[in-house]
Amino acid sequence: MFLALREIRRGLVRFGMLAVAIGLLLFLVLFQQALQQGLVTAFVGAIRNQSAPVIVYGIDAQRALQGSMLTPDVEQQVLAVDGIGEHNRIGETTLSVRVGDAADATEASLIGTDGPLGQPRELAAGRAADGPNQAVGSSVDFAVGDMVTVLAPDGGFEVEVVGVADDVQLSVSPTLFTDYATFEAAVQAFNPDAAEIPASALAVAPARGVEPAELVDRINDQVGDADAVTRADAADSAPGVAQVRQSFQVILGLYALIVPLVTGLFFLIITLQKARALVLLRAIGARSGVLLRALFAQVLMITLAGIAVGVLLALPLSGRQIGGLTLRYDPASVATWALVFVALAVVGALASLARVRRTEPVAAVEPAGGAA
Amino acid sequence: MRLALRELLRRPGRFVAATAVLTAVAVLLMFLGALLDGLLSASTGAYRAQRADVIVYSADAGASLPRSRITADVRSAIDAAPGVAETGGLGSVQLGARPEPEPDRRDLIATALIGYELAPSGLPDQPPPPGEVIADDSIEQEGVTIGDVLLLGPARTPVTVTGFVRDTQYSGQATLWASLDTWREVAGANRPAQALGDGTVQAVVVRTDGDPTELAGAIEAAADNRVEALTLADAIDELPGVSQQRSTFNQIIGVTAVVAMVVVALFFTLITVERTGLYGVLKAIGASSRTLFLGVAAQAAVLALVATALGVVASLALAAVIPPGSIPFQVTPSRLVTSGALMLAAAVIGCVFSLRRVLRIDPAAAIGGSP
Repeated sequence: MFLALREIRRGLVRFGMLAVAIGLLLFLVLFQQALQQGLVTAFVGAIRNQSAPVIVYGIDAQRALQGSMLTPDVEQQVLAVDGIGEHNRIGETTLSVRVGDAADATEASLIGTDGPLGQPRELAAGRAADGPNQAVGSSVDFAVGDMVTVLAPDGGFEVEVVGVADDVQLSVSPTLFTDYATFEAAVQAFNPDAAEIPASALAVAPARGVEPAELVDRINDQVGDADAVTRADAADSAPGVAQVRQSFQVILGLYALIVPLVTGLFFLIITLQKARALVLLRAIGARSGVLLRALFAQVLMITLAGIAVGVLLALPLSGRQIGGLTLRYDPASVATWALVFVALAVVGALASLARVRRTEPVAAVEPAGGAA
Repeated sequence: MRLALRELLRRPGRFVAATAVLTAVAVLLMFLGALLDGLLSASTGAYRAQRADVIVYSADAGASLPRSRITADVRSAIDAAPGVAETGGLGSVQLGARPEPEPDRRDLIATALIGYELAPSGLPDQPPPPGEVIADDSIEQEGVTIGDVLLLGPARTPVTVTGFVRDTQYSGQATLWASLDTWREVAGANRPAQALGDGTVQAVVVRTDGDPTELAGAIEAAADNRVEALTLADAIDELPGVSQQRSTFNQIIGVTAVVAMVVVALFFTLITVERTGLYGVLKAIGASSRTLFLGVAAQAAVLALVATALGVVASLALAAVIPPGSIPFQVTPSRLVTSGALMLAAAVIGCVFSLRRVLRIDPAAAIGGSP
């Protein structure tokens, strides 16, 4: 241990560079994991954090609320299924809004329901909307008291934000939860030619004694043009979510591959460089266990220093917004990645550990001096 | 320099580990780049194909087709703007499609039907007759062939595929190009809330013989600022998510290049430390620091080039293995060249860290026998 520390002190630059490399890799991994979580939350937060245990889309929607439409006929067929407790209609439209006196308009998703089901489960501030032209907004985009103008080519109308909720964006857009009449007014204002305004989906709670999954099966069995899903499945199977996860998994896997390669390369070269010294140490009585422990200690110390660098680089970004996404670092996943990095570093250093273990003291008295 | 290259040839084993790390970094750079290109290509194809200079949306649409609505009187004002050579209406609706033999299929093909008047690249000047569409060829991976009938949306509106066009995806979906009449009929049947009246379109594409930026200003003025006119390049950048995806991925690619630089710096610093004695001898017999450093730089460049070559092979293999439609992954020659150049730059900059050590080597140490 003493030997390990001393060597690090003497070669601060080279050991420091390794720690920085590991730190940069961890920073990239944490940043991208936070980006993935932020992206998924911003994609489907409005679905994941709404109050209905079951959502019924039109089958054509492929589980995208924006693309869903329930004809009155399909709606009646769904409501006739046994096991439905409460239900509310959900209407969604994507439109342009202007917050207060802001110069630029922004895109927003307006989700209207004709009852409490489908509204955010928890509010971060303010109160629930209880009348027309009131809204609960996504907390990263709106504040309680904001007056939001719904823009339409032939004139729009104002909505007051009376409450805000965390993590309720839809498709990475600001989201406003309103009553159903406000949704209909928004669609009509944008497109006076609209022939009819069907519901986008149904928010459903099962009757007492019926499990959500059971109700989902019943609806899907009985109504061919409906696609019922539990809240969790609706969020996980929304279009784009699986692709986002898959893409990031490949990227994170590649970064994880680089960690053992970098540490392995570094410690192997270091071990080869000091092969002669290791032979001498063995020749004067140092046990291979002592040398192995010293190398292992170095791997641990440098990796931990790298982890500290990575966490310090990542921390200032916590809570920051990048491209409309909120970056958050889950302590559990930071701890998991730190452990993974330690394990990967040790795996990477295995070749060096094996090399040290093979060091023979007798090589010290051989003509070549035992240099590796 | 020759000595350094000869060392690479004679003792390639000592460079294997560094090459492996750099190859992993090169694969990562190319994978990230291909992912970005795939995402952008799938989002912007329908716009890149437009043979137009300016796209005009309604003023508050935020440059989004579904949120834009250009009425007949606004369109007349656009047509009358100075510098306008030709205009065409554009309308889109995103719907699930089923092959005709499977009207009750639950797993649908995601499509965007786009009605046009001014033909984009690869499409006939005259839009297809009513009920017919020309499809983006990405739909072929769903087994769709020419002559197939697709049933669109909940109303199962039938359209017949009469041809294919390349690289025109929109929002990650296969496009179906049709006449404005077909678009109006399909949208009315399947999205009654979005159905626009006769003469109203979502956007207008404009051709000019003059300067597109000036034309955009002239159109906005002619339409009393009831529209937002963007050059084609600006309209592509304004598509949802395009600029955000580009900037985020470029940041990640940049930091990954820094990792490559650190790896090269680390490796060649260690190599230089190891060779201090040897360099001392070389300096003692007349080799300059410049020669020695150029040797290190040449080795770093060769390693980066080998890593790039292996990265290219791995990226092409990944492109072949990844199933179409799963991850948006598009390997392009320009991306491979850019990634290679980035690797080369990272390698050369990285080995500059060794320069200080090379300069500090004292040739007298060689005579003293201790490096």
